[in-house]
Amino acid sequence: MENILNLTLAIIKPDVVKVPFTLQEIRKKILTAGFYIVESRAVNLSCQQVENFYSEHTGRFFHKRLVTFMKSGPIHAHILAHPEAVQLWRKIMGPTKSFVTQYEAPDTIRGSFGLTDTRNCTHGSDSQMSAMREIQFFFPQFNYEEWLEKQEPMFRKGLCSIDYSTFTHNIK
Amino acid sequence: MKKLMHRFSIRSLCLEKLVTFRIQFDGVDLVMYQYASAKSDKRNRVFTWGLAEHGALGERQFLKPIHKARRPVEYMHRPYRLGFAEENDITDIAAGYGFTVFIAKGKKTSSQVFGTGLNTDSQIGYHAVRKDHPLELIAEPVPIHLPNIKSSITGIACGRAHTLILTEKDGVLTLGNNAYGQCGRHIIEDEDYQRQSTVHQIVIDDKISQVYCGQDHSMFVTDRGSVWSCGWSADGQTGVGHYNNTDRITKCVGDIVGENIIKLACSADCVLALNDKGQVFGWGNSEYGQLRLATSEMQLHTPRHLRLPRTFGKIVDVAASGTACLILNDAGEVFVWGYGILGKGPVVDRSQEPTAIPLTLFGCNEFNQDVKVVSIYGGLSQFAAVTNNGDLYIWGRNRSGSLGLGHLNNQFFPIKVNISGYVKKFCFGVDHCVALCKSYV
Repeated sequence: MENILNLTLAIIKPDVVKVPFTLQEIRKKILTAGFYIVESRAVNLSCQQVENFYSEHTGRFFHKRLVTFMKSGPIHAHILAHPEAVQLWRKIMGPTKSFVTQYEAPDTIRGSFGLTDTRNCTHGSDSQMSAMREIQFFFPQFNYEEWLEKQEPMFRKGLCSIDYSTFTHNIK
Repeated sequence: MKKLMHRFSIRSLCLEKLVTFRIQFDGVDLVMYQYASAKSDKRNRVFTWGLAEHGALGERQFLKPIHKARRPVEYMHRPYRLGFAEENDITDIAAGYGFTVFIAKGKKTSSQVFGTGLNTDSQIGYHAVRKDHPLELIAEPVPIHLPNIKSSITGIACGRAHTLILTEKDGVLTLGNNAYGQCGRHIIEDEDYQRQSTVHQIVIDDKISQVYCGQDHSMFVTDRGSVWSCGWSADGQTGVGHYNNTDRITKCVGDIVGENIIKLACSADCVLALNDKGQVFGWGNSEYGQLRLATSEMQLHTPRHLRLPRTFGKIVDVAASGTACLILNDAGEVFVWGYGILGKGPVVDRSQEPTAIPLTLFGCNEFNQDVKVVSIYGGLSQFAAVTNNGDLYIWGRNRSGSLGLGHLNNQFFPIKVNISGYVKKFCFGVDHCVALCKSYV
């Protein structure tokens, strides 16, 4: 079973969601990288939800900054599928700190569109484990086993097409 | 032949306005023509450059070309003279993330505010062609409706997605995103800022004389020199002594209390303030050592005095980028510290201590010995300086051609931008720039 599709969770942060041009450019980057978008959702998080989501950063100096930023507006959550989903998404996002990334990796998403270290466009899961946890957080109805059995083979064969209005791949 | 005749007629037309002088040179009588008199009106010009996709450059043709065969302009990497400013007398400018705001003074009417560009948070007012379908992008400057304002408009400032408009007698008007309280009104959970026609009015007992914006916070300076602020404070950038959002205008605490503050500078989350004695204060983000002179912490919520070496003399201007600080002394010398493209060499640099940028880079040489820098400006990762000749020098990260140098490469030392006019005021947006100039003649 080579090239089986793995999943990762991508979040488009509030600074980008309100800027149509940047949003479009980031979506283009996702598609050209060869990701399939399994599910998409626009959501407004409450303070408590963000706290739960970023519980691993509790106590770090930037924790409050991250929480207030993430609840400042609507965000887009996407489940991305690719054989190397977690690593590839982190690669095209670039390192966290936009101010440094803009010089060291200018072609990445954060390098080209990030404003500051907090307003850094996107979020990505850091491992397969956390990807599953984060997908459950945003898409509680999503059943990974069922998806792996029924839809994954279809995606792998490329039997799907992108719907730009919802920004998800639908199986033909 | 016809062409020649045409040229002749223009020539003779010009001659009518000529003023002639006679001067003596080596005993010979010479005639000197002055083509424009000293009294002729120098007009204000506005130049914009950078990313065109947001509509922030204010030129409709960039987005919607008149000729069908032409493609829309993605970015303008050299200064573009704005036609809108030729028809209206622009007195002040401000730029945010993807939008630009102008104050225009009519011949008979009072001053009016115009906005162009991104409007997804109603930062340039509510504009709907169809009812309930507000435009999310505006391709050319349109007037911003401000209800019941009788006094004239004296200043503007733009954050990432909000606008502050300072009036003579009616306080400060705020428009746009209020997710952190940067508009100075109560934060409403899940408020839809795109369909917002609210213009909030901030009035305090003292008279506000200047307004400034960070990306997501607002700051106000009164005519007595006290500083007030509201908005995002997760880095302490409001300077009110805590890290919580402040949705009501609050007086800043710390070392600036009792000082006569004359200028603030902020582009992201690090704030610098300058008092009338030439001392510099700082607060907010210090992740790249911007406030190391006062603290070794990453964040500072209480304004602190930055102790600069005595040899620097009196500081007359300050500028802050997201990661570095720039100061100007009364001798026209500039000093920089922090992280990023500092303007002193071909690398992305980190400097803990303030160090001088050689004045040669600003055009001071054996032939032009009296050149000095008179004002400085900071963008997110860029800096700019204007000299006493009215020349604009720029350096930093060239995001979408926003340095206006005709290319897309980063600029590692100050270099002159090709603008035909004396630069009076300059503004960095996030990926575009605006310059207000006086024409040469």
